[in-house]
Amino acid sequence: MSTTRHLVNRRRRLATAPPRTPGAEPDQASEQATATATATDTDADAGPQAAQDTASDLDADTDATAGSDTAPDAPGNAPRGKASRLRVGLPAVLCALTVLLGAFAVWAFASAGDLRDEPARQNTALTDIGRTSEVKGRISEAVGAVFSYDYASPARSDRAASTYLTGRAVQQHKDMLADVREQAPRQKLVLTTTVTESGVEFLDGDRARLLIFADQSNTRTGKDEETTYAAAMFAVDAVRRGDTWLIATIDTFTR
Amino acid sequence: MARQRTARQGTAPEGTGREGSAGAVRAGTRNPLVIVALALAVCAAGAAGWGGWLRYEATHDDAAAFARTRDDALAAGEQAVQNMNTLDHRSLEKGLDSWEQSTTGDLHRQLVDGRDAFAEQIAEAKTVSTAEVLSGAVTELDERAGRAGVMVALRVTVTAPKGEPAVKESRLLGSLTRTAGGWKLSALGQAPVGGTGG
Repeated sequence: MSTTRHLVNRRRRLATAPPRTPGAEPDQASEQATATATATDTDADAGPQAAQDTASDLDADTDATAGSDTAPDAPGNAPRGKASRLRVGLPAVLCALTVLLGAFAVWAFASAGDLRDEPARQNTALTDIGRTSEVKGRISEAVGAVFSYDYASPARSDRAASTYLTGRAVQQHKDMLADVREQAPRQKLVLTTTVTESGVEFLDGDRARLLIFADQSNTRTGKDEETTYAAAMFAVDAVRRGDTWLIATIDTFTR
Repeated sequence: MARQRTARQGTAPEGTGREGSAGAVRAGTRNPLVIVALALAVCAAGAAGWGGWLRYEATHDDAAAFARTRDDALAAGEQAVQNMNTLDHRSLEKGLDSWEQSTTGDLHRQLVDGRDAFAEQIAEAKTVSTAEVLSGAVTELDERAGRAGVMVALRVTVTAPKGEPAVKESRLLGSLTRTAGGWKLSALGQAPVGGTGG
């Protein structure tokens, strides 16, 4: 191992330093000296020629690996040269590794984020079966309660409104039922709303939008009893408060 | 001769060589540059591992695939419902072709069978129908069987040669079946109203 290093260094010296060529012969001799010296493991015992050789060896090494942080006064030999290369090589390899891994990490995070932000994924309607059926059941119940009115117990409708409605829906509901409230006592109206079909368009955490098909039966229990049926369709925005869903807006698709 | 000696004895410094490199590694780890580089590389490796895992999770997410299927079915369903409620007597063939393209199964067969009679009827009435999807939702989805149920709120405007255009709102329920050419309607009808049913 060290022998080949010497040979390589010697060739390098011969190639780069022509003025030193006359010293090639003693060099070779010193090489032997170093070999024997290292074999006996006594660097200090090597002759002055050997010392010169190893010194120039170090010079060649530091030249070859520019920017080496090898201390110039270190007693240089071939393994030392390897060490200095290692010292430069290791940080360089680590830096390259850091850049590569860092680049991969950035790409992976970005692409995972993109996938996560995909609109389809944001919407957990049907994918979250529990929540989907929960909001469907709760909102169907709410719609039924809120849009039913019995002239005999108007307080129940008010109670339902305060239980199931929030935000803009409160006023919307008031406007929608204004006529019914007005006519109910005179005509003895009983309005019953039943949700026949509901679907969750959108569900994201505590917000949801549902499409509702409902049947409304309007019964006048006055002189001549008469029941009319109406088909209703509308969408509601629902919000989750605590562990219950409330209707926040009612969209009747009016133009 | 000298060469031979050095070559033979070359094995001897082997021990010192290894000792030297071990010392160099020890010296290297003491080098602050190496420590910083190593720490950065470890951090980068950790980040890469984490990011890779997140990405793997994101791409192999069954719920996401299901969500995409749901959105595909809804988009196809809404488009099909709109096609089925759009017909212009001036371009009857094109309209009826799009009806047939939007459907599959029994519904498709019914349309093909009744096409001529229906075309005659529309040509005589000279009506133009346009539809606008107000809202739609998937009510059920069986990804494996390739079946889905959709509900669509629709506004249809029918313009006859005489009189004002008639606007009516429709509550439609459709069944979709997945075919080689995407999701197609296999059934479509008005949502029943309690009173009319009985």
